[in-house]
Amino acid sequence: MADTRQRIIEATYACVARWGLAKTTVEDAARQAGVSRATVYRYFPGGREELLHDVVSWEFVAFFLRLYEEVQGAASLEAVMERGIAFAHRSIAEHEVLQRVMQTEPETLLPTLTLESNRIREAIAEFLLPYLLEHGLAEGVDPRQAADFLARMVLSYMASPGRWDLDDAGQVSRLVREELLAGVVVGPEPRGGSRT
Amino acid sequence: MSDRAVRLQAVPGRAEARSDRTAPQRVRIVDATLDCLARQGMAKTTVDDVARRAGISRATVYRVFPGGKVEILDAVVDTEMARLFSALGARMGAADDLADVLVGAIVEAVTRVTTHPALTFLVEHEPSVVLRHLAFDESNRLLATATRFLGPFLARWMDPEESARVAEWSTRIVLSYCISPSDEIDLTDPRQARHLVETFVLPGIRALREPDTTAPIDLAPFTADRPAAARSGTVRPAATPTARASKGAHR
Repeated sequence: MADTRQRIIEATYACVARWGLAKTTVEDAARQAGVSRATVYRYFPGGREELLHDVVSWEFVAFFLRLYEEVQGAASLEAVMERGIAFAHRSIAEHEVLQRVMQTEPETLLPTLTLESNRIREAIAEFLLPYLLEHGLAEGVDPRQAADFLARMVLSYMASPGRWDLDDAGQVSRLVREELLAGVVVGPEPRGGSRT
Repeated sequence: MSDRAVRLQAVPGRAEARSDRTAPQRVRIVDATLDCLARQGMAKTTVDDVARRAGISRATVYRVFPGGKVEILDAVVDTEMARLFSALGARMGAADDLADVLVGAIVEAVTRVTTHPALTFLVEHEPSVVLRHLAFDESNRLLATATRFLGPFLARWMDPEESARVAEWSTRIVLSYCISPSDEIDLTDPRQARHLVETFVLPGIRALREPDTTAPIDLAPFTADRPAAARSGTVRPAATPTARASKGAHR
C-alpha cells in the first residue's frame, strides 16, 4: 500500500522532470506508474494539486535526508555546518529539475517550498541543538533560540548565496565561523586548526 | 522621498529614464495601484481599476506606462523598495551607535514589510506573486540591491567590504523573520531586536575583524564615540551620517 503511493509519487516526479509541473496531469502520473486514474485518486483525493504538492514535499524531504547523511559523523559543530552548507549549495545548483522548474514555473513550486522550509527549519534546529550544547554556548545565549537562528541563516544561504562563493571551502569556513557561530558558541575553532 | 525614488529607478534592468513631466502622475498611478492591490490583489487589478482610482484617464495611464500593467507593477516594486530604503536610510543615519543602527533598521524593515497593506494582502491571497522575488536568483538580486543601498550607512564603523557584508547579513535576518515569523522573537519589538543583534550579529562583526582570535566581545571599537580603538586608518566617523551615506561606500 505504501509502495503504491510511493510508486505514484516517483512516477509523478519522473513526469515533472520531463514536462514540468504545469503540464503534468493525473493521467500522466497514472500511466507512468502503471496504475489506474482511480487508484491515483484513492491515494491523492485532492487530485492533481495534492499530487504535485506531495511530490515537491517528497523531493524536498529527500533532499534533506541526503543532507542529513552528508553531515553524519562530522566531528564538530563547525564541521557540520560547513559540510551541510557546501553540500546543500552544490545539490541545489546541480538539481536539474529544481533549476528548470524555478526558471519556468516558480509560482507553482514556491508556496510549497516555503511551507516545507518552515518544517525543515525546525528539523535543522533540532539537529543542531545537541551540537550546540556539546560545543558550549556563549554567555546569555538561549540554546533553542540559537538553533533556530542558525537554521534560518543556513536556509537563507542555501537559497541565495548572495555575495558568498559557496563552492569555495575557505569562504564557507569563514561564513560559518565569523558570520554564523561567532555570537553563538564559546568561541568557534580558528580556521584550519583545532581549539586548544 | 520621491527624489530618491526617481534615482532608485535607475537600477540596471529597470525602467529607463523618463521626462520629469510625467513624474507626479507616475507616483499617483503607483499609489493607486497599491490601493488596488491591497483590496483585490494582483490578478484582479486592471489598468482600468488603477486609472479610476487615480482619477485619471486610461489613456494617460498608458502614456505614462506604455507597457501597461506589467510596467506599472515593476514601477510599484521599485517605488516601494525605494520608499523602504529611504525610511531605513533616515533611521540608520539618525542613530549614532552601531547597535542602534542595526536595531533601528531591522525594526523599521520588519515593521514596514509586515504591515504593508498591499504586501500583506498578496502574501495571504497570492503568495507566489511575492515569493518569486524572494527565492534563488531573485533573492540574490534583492540582497544585492539592499546591500548596495544599506551598506553605506554602516561605513562609519567599517570599511566598504565589511559594510556590504553586514548589510547583506542583516537583510537575510529581516527576510527570514518576515517570510517565516517566529513564535518566540518579534522583531518589530525594539527590545527583542536588540537582543538578537547583540547576541548574534555584533559578535559576528567582531569576529569579522579579528577572524583568528576568540577574544571576548568588546563593542567599544564600533561606537561612534570611540573610533580610535578601531582598526587603525580604516574607521573614522563621518561628520554626519547622511553626508557619509550620500557619498557612498567608497572614499
